[in-house]
Amino acid sequence: MCGVFGVLDANNQNKKKIVLNALSRLNHRGPDEWGVYLNKFVGLGHTRLSIIDIEDGQQPMQSSDYIISFNGEIYNYLELRSDLESQGYSFNTNSDTEVILKLYESIGIDCFEKLNGEFAILIWDKKCEHLIAARDRYGIRPLYALQHNNAFLFSSEMKVFDTLDNYKREINAQNLFEHGLFWNTLADNTVYKDILTIESGTFEVFNTSGRIVKERYYQVGESFKVNETADNFVNTKKAFKELLNDSVSLRLRSDVPVGTYLSGGIDSTIISQLVKNQTNHTFKTFSVAFNDKSLDESDFQKLASKKVNSVHHEVKISNRDVDDNLLKTIYHTERPIFRTAPIPLHLLSNKVKETNTKVVLTGEGADEILFGYDTFKELKILKEWKMSNGDSAAIESLKELYPHLSHYADARQFAFIKMYYEGFLNDFENEFNGLNIRLANNKIIEKYFNKSLGLKFDKTTLLEKFKTTLPANYSSWSLLQKNSYLEIKTLLQGYLLSSQGDRMAMSNSIEGRFPFLDHRVVEMAFSMPDDYKLKGFDQKHILKQAFESEIPKEITNRPKRPYMAPDLIAFIDSKGKLSDLASTLLSDKCIEEYGLFDTKIVKRFLNKFKNGVPENTGYRDNMVFMFLLTSQICQYWINNPPEVELDMNKCVVDILDM
Amino acid sequence: MSSAVTLEKILTFVVDTYMVEIEEIPLDESLIDEGIIDSFGLIELASFLEKAFLIPINDTDLTRDNFGSVNKMIALVHRKKSNA
Repeated sequence: MCGVFGVLDANNQNKKKIVLNALSRLNHRGPDEWGVYLNKFVGLGHTRLSIIDIEDGQQPMQSSDYIISFNGEIYNYLELRSDLESQGYSFNTNSDTEVILKLYESIGIDCFEKLNGEFAILIWDKKCEHLIAARDRYGIRPLYALQHNNAFLFSSEMKVFDTLDNYKREINAQNLFEHGLFWNTLADNTVYKDILTIESGTFEVFNTSGRIVKERYYQVGESFKVNETADNFVNTKKAFKELLNDSVSLRLRSDVPVGTYLSGGIDSTIISQLVKNQTNHTFKTFSVAFNDKSLDESDFQKLASKKVNSVHHEVKISNRDVDDNLLKTIYHTERPIFRTAPIPLHLLSNKVKETNTKVVLTGEGADEILFGYDTFKELKILKEWKMSNGDSAAIESLKELYPHLSHYADARQFAFIKMYYEGFLNDFENEFNGLNIRLANNKIIEKYFNKSLGLKFDKTTLLEKFKTTLPANYSSWSLLQKNSYLEIKTLLQGYLLSSQGDRMAMSNSIEGRFPFLDHRVVEMAFSMPDDYKLKGFDQKHILKQAFESEIPKEITNRPKRPYMAPDLIAFIDSKGKLSDLASTLLSDKCIEEYGLFDTKIVKRFLNKFKNGVPENTGYRDNMVFMFLLTSQICQYWINNPPEVELDMNKCVVDILDM
Repeated sequence: MSSAVTLEKILTFVVDTYMVEIEEIPLDESLIDEGIIDSFGLIELASFLEKAFLIPINDTDLTRDNFGSVNKMIALVHRKKSNA
């Protein structure tokens, strides 16, 4: 994995300093080497984590009239290369980087849809004098853009912009609020003013005056045809299994050892099993374990490890570890988080690094594409409830939901659950779909913002804005397909792949790879009939059926359980005392100084825990606490950017092309 | 106990527990639908009503008619007290 940076500015002939300052902040993404390319118009920088063609894959890489700085992996690079060679192109390296360059040379901006992989790409086209910025289909690799003092800047991470003269990041409160509502900002917004993201599945073209093209080369669900008859279940199951196997096979392409993460759940166990089937040597698996038995899944992790005969490593997390590592974690996430789950993954990637592994395959994406979350069940129940006009069978099935949250199982409390869901019967079929529930749960954060910011939760206006971000054929999809799309765009992209995925792995220079997010796998899953994925209330049905004989039954039959780490209890002890971090950043003084939140409301909230954290504390309080604390930490890092030195001995490319 | 006292006690509980200002609490709308509480909040509210007003709340009481707004909860409390 790597870090990329670009500055497009024909008026500035001192771009080298800008690039080098930027690269110092991208060091964690690419500790092995770095390089810079400069010409009259553009400066490109790259920090490298060497994984494919270690000897020769240095960047920025130049080939005839094109220069590239790229973060990611192109898994079908061998096939693409073979095609290009048959057209007469020759190669100087064995890298996937050169394949992208030659492909761009061959077909220009049509190249991105040919790539199977994850990427953030900057290409300088000398002929056209254009800078092209492109991002992979699901936003696995980050890419941000900023216009500052007539320069156009691009970076893998937003903290890099802190190195610019006369620039300071500023939180955009409205966007921060949206991030809190949806678990992601909408469209190309970020939580910071003026910083935009290159949207997943798109590329943008810039000349020195600005952006001239923004085009989408991929849309989730693009291969789904409404009236096409699906193949039968048995054939689909077989085809899906083969495709997933191929996806894993491609993602094992590496010149360094590859391991896997094991959560103890079915997705990562299947990936690990597929890796085992394809490798003839033992490989390493990595897991997070907890001292807190209610969160720990190590029995299942060890069971999976035994099945695949891996060399297993675990990190054991205490509440203290969570508090100790939050500040650093948010330095890497650059955005607030709602649960502490990313923190152990920061520690896990450190363990991976210690074992000299650079690449891990993980199970992200399966829940979104195969209807693994309970929101899919909720929507199904709401639909049946509405259609049945209050038939008790539909309502009874509410009890299926959330077995890991004890208060849902109690018969008395069931009545309250019913009351809660009743409120969604009118709305769940609007464009917000399953997000209606997330919005209902999260909108309380409006109350915590500083009143002078004038933020208001206006669902009607938000819905209108939201509709403009949806694909043209959204309304032709089923209720559950829509939810799948929305979970990919919000929870997956905005949180799981970024804060929990890329940023946590990258914090220790580890590359995560996601076989379920091979676009062929995603499209095949999207096009399947709903009941192949959610049969009755059996989630990820086709996946479980496909691997029935290969995965331990104990793992397949586990109820869906989200990976969680200790939240509030990591920061507030049983006597109600806050940790140093929490008490400083949530103090009246700091809340007032940063100006994002309302001092009185925050104080009132913290007062709830003055005698410790009550045992039955729900989702909302944990979420609010983490959102407040980590938003404050985002501001802290803006105010206190660390100084990082670039190791000049690691420079491998230094091209001045005037 | 008068309605005004019951109202004040309930409102104070909601303000202290759910981070809203007193003037933001609708008296005739569902606190869930308004996003002030989630389903767990209903459980907290029912427990609060039982303890604060010394009334028993049965399974059959758990309906929108009784919990669907602050005013409905006041009515529930008074009905329970007058039946006691």
